[in-house]
Amino acid sequence: MTGLAFLSPDRAERGRQFEPTLASPLTRALGGDARVRDLSGLGKIEVRGDVDAIDADVQVVRISPGRALVLCAYERCAELRAVLPGTVIDMTAALAGLELTGERAMRRLTDLDLRELPAVGKVAEVPAVVLRDGERFQIFFPQEFGHYVAEVVLDTLAGIR
Amino acid sequence: MRLPPQPNERIDRSAELTFSFEGKAVSAFAGDTIGSALYAGGRRIFSRSFKYHRPRGLLCCSGGCANCLMEVDGVPNVRVCVEPARAGAQVRAQNVRGSLERDLLSVVDKIGGPFTPVGFYYRTMIRPRRLWPYYERFLRSVAGLGRLDKHARRTNRYDVEHRHVDVLVVGGGYAGVEAARRHARAGRRVVVVDERGGDNPGSDFELVAPARAIGIYEGGLVPVDAGGILYRFRADHIVLATGTIEQPLLFPGNDLVGVVLPEAVRRLVEDWALKPGERAVVIAADDRGLDTTDVLERAGAVVVAAIDLRDAQPTRIEAKGRRGRLRSVVVGDREFACDLLVASGTPQPAYSLLAQAGARVEYDRRRGIFLPTELPANVEAVGSVAGELGSAAIPAASFDGHKGRCFVCLCEDVTEKDVKRAIAEGFDSIELAKRYTTVTMGPCQGRLCHLASIRLFAREQETGPDSIGTTTARPPWAPVSLGLLAGRGHEPAKRTSIHHRHEEAGATMMWTGAWRRPHSYGDPAAEARHVHEAVGLIDVSTLGKLLVQGPEAAPFLEMLYPNRFGDMKTGRIRYGVLETDAGRIMDDGTIGRLSDDQYYVTTTSTGADTVIEWFEWWNAVWGMDVEIVNLTGALAAVNIAGPRARELLARVTDIDVSNESIAYLDAKEALVAGVPSLLLRIGFVGELGYELHFPSPYGEYLWDTLLERGADLDIRPFGLEPQRILRLEKMHILVGQDTDSESNVLEAGMPWIAKLDKENDFVGKWALEHVRERGFREQLVGFEMDNGVVPAEGGQIVADGSAVGRVTSARLSPQLGRVIGMAWVRSDLASEDGELRLKVNGNLETARVRLKPFFDPDGERLRS
Repeated sequence: MTGLAFLSPDRAERGRQFEPTLASPLTRALGGDARVRDLSGLGKIEVRGDVDAIDADVQVVRISPGRALVLCAYERCAELRAVLPGTVIDMTAALAGLELTGERAMRRLTDLDLRELPAVGKVAEVPAVVLRDGERFQIFFPQEFGHYVAEVVLDTLAGIR
Repeated sequence: MRLPPQPNERIDRSAELTFSFEGKAVSAFAGDTIGSALYAGGRRIFSRSFKYHRPRGLLCCSGGCANCLMEVDGVPNVRVCVEPARAGAQVRAQNVRGSLERDLLSVVDKIGGPFTPVGFYYRTMIRPRRLWPYYERFLRSVAGLGRLDKHARRTNRYDVEHRHVDVLVVGGGYAGVEAARRHARAGRRVVVVDERGGDNPGSDFELVAPARAIGIYEGGLVPVDAGGILYRFRADHIVLATGTIEQPLLFPGNDLVGVVLPEAVRRLVEDWALKPGERAVVIAADDRGLDTTDVLERAGAVVVAAIDLRDAQPTRIEAKGRRGRLRSVVVGDREFACDLLVASGTPQPAYSLLAQAGARVEYDRRRGIFLPTELPANVEAVGSVAGELGSAAIPAASFDGHKGRCFVCLCEDVTEKDVKRAIAEGFDSIELAKRYTTVTMGPCQGRLCHLASIRLFAREQETGPDSIGTTTARPPWAPVSLGLLAGRGHEPAKRTSIHHRHEEAGATMMWTGAWRRPHSYGDPAAEARHVHEAVGLIDVSTLGKLLVQGPEAAPFLEMLYPNRFGDMKTGRIRYGVLETDAGRIMDDGTIGRLSDDQYYVTTTSTGADTVIEWFEWWNAVWGMDVEIVNLTGALAAVNIAGPRARELLARVTDIDVSNESIAYLDAKEALVAGVPSLLLRIGFVGELGYELHFPSPYGEYLWDTLLERGADLDIRPFGLEPQRILRLEKMHILVGQDTDSESNVLEAGMPWIAKLDKENDFVGKWALEHVRERGFREQLVGFEMDNGVVPAEGGQIVADGSAVGRVTSARLSPQLGRVIGMAWVRSDLASEDGELRLKVNGNLETARVRLKPFFDPDGERLRS
């Protein structure tokens, strides 16, 4: 099997007159809004198989009994791709992510039960993985919806008085 | 005129505000509703009735009936009795020609009787037929409730909020609050929804008010209308404390202005310090109704008679009035001059939400009301809705009088006579009569007329209400504005990671499925020509992309596609067309072999989701050792096409890009401008071309780099429209454009795809074998117009006076200088150079059949 290098942004090489630069699909829609943190740059790796065998100090979100999403710092992608068990697919480029604060906004974005997170469901009508840390919520979703989701998030925040 | 301060009044006399009614200023206190402020200003007529345009005044004063519907700030059908007064609000009467006091349409009440019997819209104004357009225009102008400005802009913001709670209590009265506290003490998270609200009662539970539960839907979903917000509650446990609804009595003149329900008296006096009348008569069936006597006396009104229906039921009740206003009441053989009549029967438990949740409804013979029973496991009823009521009399179905209309349903202006007539006409089931007379179908949703109509029905049928039964309770229980149901109206749009570059370059964007794509950058013809002459760049990130991997990947694909894949060498690509079970074309794309057990599959942009589901479904059916990964969004993709494409590619990668190293239909992994990419040498547009698939976050970077490095090669981006011209020159099909649900690969001119001699079975194989046996009926061919006319897509091809085919694509090719196209034609017409007659704008035009690509028929440029 090939290493599917073309899936991994961190396999890019600088130098020899090329300076590959990453861009986030959320940048333009967010316009620097401080209420929303752009997490699109995080490393995201999908593991299929025996997800209970994952033994690494990273955040693991169980998506189904046989699938999990591993979240890590971008710099750790290469290391984790090598050690994670089962089928390992680099989804760093596939998913955009953002973090926002406040349960009220989340209630308007998703019908997921916020008492039972992390969970997989729809946020702003788009399939997503949602995590919670107190009043902070992290959402990961297909990057092609990034601009749209960012617009909906800002619109939702604007509606909360 | 206000009464002296009342102990629990809701108004703040120190805070005055002003709004306008019909352009005139009305003053109000904070805490007033629009209705109470208008009443304080002396207004008694609040609306005109639906059919007869009779004057109507405040009746329930609790937001239940339709007597006070007005237009507020452009929004029709607002119940002003519960709508808080806002400074600057513009309030207007609705459903009147003229004013509330002098409504021209009230002529219907005077002379319209014979013309507007029950169900008149089914039988009057039907003949003579030729007058119908005039009737229709008239009817449309007077029918309906309120008016909408069709050109109005969205002004109010409506949000939807999802709530998951342990316990939801609907109704914040005594019983509701008590139940809420009980659950809160047990450590549950409780939310109480109440129509009126007030002060938050502390930290025991959360109060959402003023808000109304609209209904109970499947799975215990309770939508709650809180003005600008629609809460969608899902609760583990639902407590309904919806109380009772006071029921009007049926007697002639029961709709006169001045005839009210007890709650109206209580709210007018206690909440807003208003005097409901000077001389009052009270007729009630229970204690709560009769208690209004005290309230009225405290307010300084004279109660001239108080009749307890439990003692004896009068033989006759009749309200008499002038100009729609109450003047006197006849009870038995006595007549009382009065300006207020408080009349109510047994209060009916508001069981609708319980019935929607699945409870049964049973008739209580003792009190003459319907009670909920057999509640679902997670639903609880407390207080008066559960039947915790005192003793009450069962009033007569209607009381006789000498004169005047006796209304069963005030919303729809249905009288006792109408119901009798409907029964006489044979509508003898309550559900049928409901639909025919529209009783219970008005804005009050049967609150004030459901019980009354059942009683009337039972009397006329000489049976009991229990054998009549209730009509089905359906949501919405309370009227809800469409804006609230619509919510924010965001439309999920997919954008490629290069999207903003297209916008910056001035591209015209268009929808293709959920994707936003550039139609062109201004000049489709020039963009197409440029691909032939120099080099063009197109964003094809929208293509569906799948990884199919595992030991059985090759046999899996061979069973899905009619092609062979096991014999493909690593690093090679093949074109594939997916068939449905019935052998019809479903989608097309390329399949590249990355290694022994890895294939990279592309699909059409709009077919991606369907294909992925198709693959996963068959994988589940066959149980093969195959893994399918959707890479559509993970990868951006661009196509570099044109005679200078190789030169450009050589500038951005270190690998050997010669024709020997990367031949037509080769796939290779490489660093392109430093970005890890999968390079596919394929050509949809008929020129030397490379498709680059790479991590989406590099979309803008690689797009910019290619344009920059290709500047001296005169590189230009091209959009979807030029691509459509280019692919048509090559006679490449567009699935969905040139094919439909009947098309198969054999008749679509691609017999080489279907390997019917393949050892294994494949999806749709039997159907293709059948087509081969039965012979071709029609075929997909190319055509070239004799002149420069571009036929419409979908246009007919005719022979001997009947249609023998249809155009699927047609364009002027700037490269060829001719109009070309593709069409399905009867198979006997599918011969090279055969003549086709096309219907274009009513004229017959001639075209010639072409079976080989119009441009570069042997694919030399593609392979160069």
